[in-house]
Amino acid sequence: MKKQGYSQDNFFGWLMSSPALLLLTIFVIIPLVMGLGWSFTNKRLISPLPTEYIGLKNYDSILAIKLIPIDPILDENGKPQIDEKGNIQYFRVRDVIRANPKYQDFRLYTEFNAFGNHFGIIAKDPDFYRALINTTLYVLMIVPAIGIISLLLALLVNQRIWGVSIFRVLYFIPSITSISVTSVVWMFLYNPDQGLINQLLQKISFGAFGFSPWLQSADTALLAIILYTIWQASGLFMVIFLGGLQDIPEDTYEAAKIDGANPFQTLLYVVIPQLRNTIIYVVITSSILGFRLFTQVDVMTKGGPEGSTLTLMMHTVNEGFRNQKIGYASAISIVFFIFILILTFTQRKIFKSENVLE
Amino acid sequence: MNKRLALVIRFCVLTLFVASIAACSPAVTQAPEVTEAPVVTEAILPTDIVSAEAPIDVTLWFHGGSVGESDTLRAQVEDFNASQTKYRMTINEIPGGAAAGSGYNDAVNAAAVAGTLPDLLDFDGPFLFNYAWGGYLTPLDDLIPAELKADIFPSVLDSLKYDGKIYGIGQYDSGLALCGNKAILEEAGVRIPTSVEDAWTFAEFNEVLEKVKGVGGTEYSIDLKMNYGAGEWYSYGFTPVIWGNGGDLIDRSTYQTADGFINGEKTVAAVTWFKSLFDNGYATSTPPDDNEFVNGKAALGWCGHWMTTTYYDALKENFVLIPMPNFGERQATGNGTWVWGITKDSKNPEGAMAFIEFIMKPEEVLRTVTQNGAVPATFSATEQSDLFKKGGRLSIFGEQLARVDIATPRPITPGYPVITSAFYTALDNIIKGADIQTELDAAADKIDKDLQDNSFYPQK
Repeated sequence: MKKQGYSQDNFFGWLMSSPALLLLTIFVIIPLVMGLGWSFTNKRLISPLPTEYIGLKNYDSILAIKLIPIDPILDENGKPQIDEKGNIQYFRVRDVIRANPKYQDFRLYTEFNAFGNHFGIIAKDPDFYRALINTTLYVLMIVPAIGIISLLLALLVNQRIWGVSIFRVLYFIPSITSISVTSVVWMFLYNPDQGLINQLLQKISFGAFGFSPWLQSADTALLAIILYTIWQASGLFMVIFLGGLQDIPEDTYEAAKIDGANPFQTLLYVVIPQLRNTIIYVVITSSILGFRLFTQVDVMTKGGPEGSTLTLMMHTVNEGFRNQKIGYASAISIVFFIFILILTFTQRKIFKSENVLE
Repeated sequence: MNKRLALVIRFCVLTLFVASIAACSPAVTQAPEVTEAPVVTEAILPTDIVSAEAPIDVTLWFHGGSVGESDTLRAQVEDFNASQTKYRMTINEIPGGAAAGSGYNDAVNAAAVAGTLPDLLDFDGPFLFNYAWGGYLTPLDDLIPAELKADIFPSVLDSLKYDGKIYGIGQYDSGLALCGNKAILEEAGVRIPTSVEDAWTFAEFNEVLEKVKGVGGTEYSIDLKMNYGAGEWYSYGFTPVIWGNGGDLIDRSTYQTADGFINGEKTVAAVTWFKSLFDNGYATSTPPDDNEFVNGKAALGWCGHWMTTTYYDALKENFVLIPMPNFGERQATGNGTWVWGITKDSKNPEGAMAFIEFIMKPEEVLRTVTQNGAVPATFSATEQSDLFKKGGRLSIFGEQLARVDIATPRPITPGYPVITSAFYTALDNIIKGADIQTELDAAADKIDKDLQDNSFYPQK
């Protein structure tokens, strides 16, 4: 009797999840398998040239990276040449690469001085490493920032004050407006000469800050994208936190009050522990959001200047779609997939061990 | 509680996992759906009547972006549908310009893979070679009526050939020159050239840039339309500076390498000069919008034909079109523009051609170019045009295009999409402060890698 009931449950379980499973199969599992297959070929988007099996060559092109010493240019006395600023003159990395058949297909990623020597880092696809580092930096910065800001916003709009729902709506509006539209608006805000942000900075600092190039410089472009994303996404997570806050029973606050806790202690010892699940949810979803970064970059900087805002998603789309190398882009996707898999398991481990401690 | 928590965590981990897979699958931008064809009610009506009467549906894709251009085209489609009963044209406007990475090209590529291309589509000239090589355009040689072929300027027709066959037909060719604010130029006391023969020399042009700076309330000398952003405008608009200095983006004799060309001495010198326009305050790299020239913030404008109508409407008798100057070795300007092509899988190439024939009539060509300021591509339209005949407001465009030693096509190769994106990315970085030689070297490497990856784009 019991067994039969169980299998009936099982049947209904499968029945209920079948639409989702079907969609997952069509849109996630099949593309993943196709992508894995294509990653071993040189498949192109549209081309009369035939597709060939090329083994692991795509993976080698993505991952190959080398550190090479760069020699100084010597003058006729065998001493390093010095320019007028007193810097030692080194050979150009590109010339070193081209002179050595071992480094064929490698390109300059970056060069630096260390321990009195000059080194170059060369990779077959420097843009991949740029994208990887940018994406990681971006996620590391937006996850805590969005978490803290959206929690603070949620605490603010959780007050029982007249008109507070207006603020809830105002903070939520950026999240429900199209990213393309708000990105264009922010491009105007970031305009170095006439943008509101620089004008405002200049006014409130009495001219001490007044000129930041924002999207126009490799040093500030990623930061500008991060600030925009925090503004864009915090409203959504504020609503999630708000839901969590309203789930906390009123009597716990009262109990805290009776015990003489001040508001800060209430936050730290009552609110945050009760929000644990919400916080975990926010951390995981905002990291997903971070790794998928594409739209705002495509609109605002197209990955520039100098690749400083190139993301893994963008690099994949560029290679597969715009440079028409589907096989290569599939391989990037697979590498990206493995990268995220490792991160996910790490995150899982962290949350699990915390769980054990509790 | 603990159990529930574990469940939530498991759920979240699963979500991230699934999302990461979704994020990893090759991102294919969904092709905009073709406007659904009206259902022909064949079933309820006697078939013999309907098959004789019902118009054949023909679909058309058009790049959006310019309101004036798309309004004109929509009107032309309506008129075409009203003028005959055999075909019914449906228009689908897709946002984004020509550059690799802008919406329109992505949509066309996606549709080509998915097999959902329309019968007729437009594309920017140099992309023709890639599309034709990729095999999704049909040669037009057998479809074009002889009179139409004879009416199109041979130089335009030649530029639309790949592997000896015609793959595109356009109503007009593009014009690129300088627009001037006459009042400011006269106040600054500079000579205004009136024909291609007396264009500014390089030294003179540099002098002009210095002289007009700040005159008549301007903030800088020339508006370079940098608000278009890194894209085809950089390649179309600014490679003439490189050609004019004797450089190029690729070795045109073989199309096998870009090394020594896009990063060659002459190109580097030209780009260095171009960068100096910003460093010297002659131009801004961050204009807030499209109206710097109209608002009188600049005395000159780097001027594509599509801006001339707006500029003329704003400046009236102060508007003057000035030929491209000499950039060191010679005068240079670009050519090539958006043209129409018929797709390989089109079921109604005759219907598509009927529409092309319709819009190539002199009155329709004139209707388009009067709106967008481009140079008519047919003899018949040019004869009837007030704007382009000798002494007309835009005659400079025609004069430049007639001179093969001035008007230069962008590289003629299926590899063009990568050439242009490598170049405009490099130029964008350079304008924002990157090292010129390093950036152009990287562009050369990118182009050469693409050429190798595609076996140097062999012709069939």
